[in-house]
Amino acid sequence: MPPSIHPIDLILALRDKHLTPAIVFLTSRRACDEAMQAFDHSQILLPPPRQRAIADVLDKVIAQYPSIAEHPLIPTVQRIGVAAHHAGHLPSWKIAVEELMRHGCLDAVFATTTLAAGVDFPARTVIITQSSIRKSRDFMDLTIGEVQQIAGRAGRRGKDLVGFAIVTPSPYIDLNVLTKGFTGHPEAINSQFVISYPMVLNLLKAHPLDQIQPILAKSFAQFQLNQRAEVLERKLDDLRDQMEPYGPRVCTDWITEWQTFDHVRRQKSHRAPVRRHEPPEVAARFHFLTPGRVVAFGRTRGVVLRQYRSKGQKSPMITALRLGGGITESPASTVTEVSDRVLDCVDAPVYPWCTPESVEELLHHLEELPGRLPELPILIPKDDEPIPDAIVQTLGDFACPTCPSRSACQRDYPVASKLRQEQHRHVKSIQALRTSLWHRFQEKIDVLQQFGYLTPTAHLTEDGEWARLIRIDHSLLITELLRAEAFNGADPAMLAAVMSSIAHDDDRPGAFPRVSSGLASLLGQVRKLAASLSPHEDPPLLRADIAAVTERWIGDPGLTWIGLCKSTTMAEGDIYRLLARTLEFLSQLHTLKATHPGLADTASRAIANLRRGVLEELP
Amino acid sequence: MTTQELEQLLAQQPIALLHRLARGRVQRHFRAGKRRLIEVLLRHSAENRPGFESDLMTLIGEQQARPSPPPPPQTPAARKPKPSAPQRRTTHRPVEPESHEPAITLSSWLEGLGVPPTKAFIPDAWQEDAIEKLRKGDVVVSVPTGSGKTYVAVEAARRAIAENRTVIYTSPLKALSNTKYTEFSKIFGPDQVGILTGDRRDNGQAPLLIMTTEILRNLLYDAGGGEIDVRLDTLGLVILDESQYIADPERGVVWEETIIFCPSQARMLLLSASIGNPHDIAEWITSIRPTPCHLVRHTTRTVPLRAGYLHPNGKLTPLFRTVGIPHGHPSYLHTEAKRLFIQYEDETLPSRSRR
Ligand SMILES: Nc1ncnc2c1ncn2[C@@H]1O[C@H](COP(=O)(O)OP(=O)(O)O)[C@@H](O)[C@H]1O
Repeated sequence: MPPSIHPIDLILALRDKHLTPAIVFLTSRRACDEAMQAFDHSQILLPPPRQRAIADVLDKVIAQYPSIAEHPLIPTVQRIGVAAHHAGHLPSWKIAVEELMRHGCLDAVFATTTLAAGVDFPARTVIITQSSIRKSRDFMDLTIGEVQQIAGRAGRRGKDLVGFAIVTPSPYIDLNVLTKGFTGHPEAINSQFVISYPMVLNLLKAHPLDQIQPILAKSFAQFQLNQRAEVLERKLDDLRDQMEPYGPRVCTDWITEWQTFDHVRRQKSHRAPVRRHEPPEVAARFHFLTPGRVVAFGRTRGVVLRQYRSKGQKSPMITALRLGGGITESPASTVTEVSDRVLDCVDAPVYPWCTPESVEELLHHLEELPGRLPELPILIPKDDEPIPDAIVQTLGDFACPTCPSRSACQRDYPVASKLRQEQHRHVKSIQALRTSLWHRFQEKIDVLQQFGYLTPTAHLTEDGEWARLIRIDHSLLITELLRAEAFNGADPAMLAAVMSSIAHDDDRPGAFPRVSSGLASLLGQVRKLAASLSPHEDPPLLRADIAAVTERWIGDPGLTWIGLCKSTTMAEGDIYRLLARTLEFLSQLHTLKATHPGLADTASRAIANLRRGVLEELP
Repeated sequence: MTTQELEQLLAQQPIALLHRLARGRVQRHFRAGKRRLIEVLLRHSAENRPGFESDLMTLIGEQQARPSPPPPPQTPAARKPKPSAPQRRTTHRPVEPESHEPAITLSSWLEGLGVPPTKAFIPDAWQEDAIEKLRKGDVVVSVPTGSGKTYVAVEAARRAIAENRTVIYTSPLKALSNTKYTEFSKIFGPDQVGILTGDRRDNGQAPLLIMTTEILRNLLYDAGGGEIDVRLDTLGLVILDESQYIADPERGVVWEETIIFCPSQARMLLLSASIGNPHDIAEWITSIRPTPCHLVRHTTRTVPLRAGYLHPNGKLTPLFRTVGIPHGHPSYLHTEAKRLFIQYEDETLPSRSRR
């Protein structure tokens, strides 16, 4: 049996049961294209009147968007009534397919799930072939909300009495994810607030520093952090009640008193102290390797999920979530650096020792952390020697041995001290939840001050005034390039080419035109600067091959779209998107006409060259 | 565990679990199909076999703890439910409230398929409700895809324009902006609708302006910095379509910024697909804006949905035992669908059929 149904069989089955029109969601563009090829010599033709209806609609769309007149899929679309719709296509082609669907002309559209949100047309039936989706370089199970967004395309109001969502298996499928998606409630959504350099500059342009915290407090991020803080506060109230019986006794802070007494008592006892074969720095550090602590293991970074002692050796161990997502069990001695940073994480009693949401969040925060973190200053006691005599209180200094509440203290100490530790932990977490956004904001301020975009009093400097207008990804790299006058003398094609290599974030390989030597050396310069900024901003891919595509398009106004497409293996839709994003970046440079008239002028000439042919069809 | 046992155990796991296991172990594991993934994992496991096995067992344990274990891929002979034993997805069938009704047939599942008679357009109660509530304050709408959010946007815009107010409509994607530009131009007339992009402004003085949320955010920052660009003082309504994008890892922050800095005299209308916590969004907006934010929500689909299973050999069956979707009962599978899917897994995974 084939691993998945053949496209022709699929269409025949759908037609047979009157389940057309359908949207068939496939795992990749390639799968969509291959499905279309399957119809090349197929004879499951539409009746002539329907073929004519398709031709009529296409004619109208082509009149508006001539770029698709010669589209290679048109014959199949017209003969069979099926089409493909994915990110590799031009927007105008996608508009044509959508228009055909709106007119009810097609039996099926093969589309990729990545764009479920971009597929703005419904059908009678939706075919689902996968249960996971590629998200930032990894395959993730579809969420309930996503399954329902996909399935929700089935059943057009006014055109269908019922809609059908049909699963057909492929080797990637996990049926459970889908049945849960169909029958479950969509997940709650969470804030994804990121504090960027332009945000800091723009806020400080409009508001004095002391008003920033109240503004951040208005974010959905803070709203949700407060919700979590409130949960902890309720727990804290609970703990306070539980602590009731352990209030002041003969001494006010009997818990600490008993702890010290007990400690000294053990030191004094003749039993050999529990000797653990661990160097003092490991022992000292171990106290700080608590859940949420960011640590380094050599070159990789991780965050502690729990600490424990190994079963046989009793040596100190930690479970850590490492950058990249691995969860490892390691001896505490493999930690090479303990940072002063503690991330929020909600503990759980079983592996991975915190909630799955926490894992995601921790990973996210880990990735976001700057390259270098301040180390936690940890005092390392010399060897395992007991506390020096001068400080050690002798047992005689304690009232405990003769105290009337001694037995009560001894009995209650384990419970009371655990409760108190828990209290302290919650208090700390609450504080972190309330102030974390502000701290993140302050970190960005520090960097902007260091680079001279902000004054020591957090006002915008002259450079800050224009830098705040660059509100795109990699803004720090771009503004630093401008300050380094990297683009002085660059022609429009070169400027646009560099911008597109900054904008493009896809590592899909391919064949591309050659770069000019001028561009190659400029890109070398950009790369150097990007690397030097990497502690403060992730460097973009800066692909020279991608830059070359843009350079050719802008540098040679005689080049046709077809000519450009032929010079690379990049899909048409990808080239379009690359140029559209480049346009966005260039138009931001154009807003700097007051301070950088030369650059703004080059940018506007690049925009004029860029916007031609296909790129002129849509606003 | 012998290598062969390990291989079999891996083959019994859903692909998602294998990917989770591969994370941090295997580079680019997401590119691999199941068979290949198992191969690579096995090779990798040689490095630290006990650690690997323990991770695998933990993941399997977690899987059991999940509310609805998937149908365990098993050879038919081994498929005997043992309700008293702890539910272990690799060996036992999930407990399911037994249905006394027989599973439905394909023909009853397909029944009712067709085109409804054309009716005069009567707005739904929730649509009227949303438009009405917008008079009193901001509104969050969370309804299933295909319910008719556009009608709410159009009516709300119509009213604001009638009161000489400017309306801004944002969508997350440029492509959607273009579609709406065409659609709204047909409804309101081309002179009434404009579109703004980074470098272009078509009919920028029109009362209804369409743009991406990023462009609006930038306008709001410029206004905050003192440079008034578009006539924000006459702004009466901001419509944020597809506002579930607030949870987008890269771009979500733009929605937050837009809502935080939206001028206080303008009403906000957030249109969203079904999400789990729309009340949180409404409560949040209420807490930061001058007027209360109302939530308009409904969860039933206007056009009922049915789920089916299509076998690669072309055989179609209902996916669930009921005609409609059995909400809250993910493992209420149709016996035929279950049988076919198990057959599918058996046939596509060679290491299992070797047993
Ligand atoms: N009250 C109604 N009665 C009948 N059809 C409606 C009603 N409201 C919306 N529709 C139709 O429902 C379809 C889906 O509406 P749309 O606004 O695109 O949904 P979505 O909520 O996904 O944005 C449209 O064809 C629209 O004309």
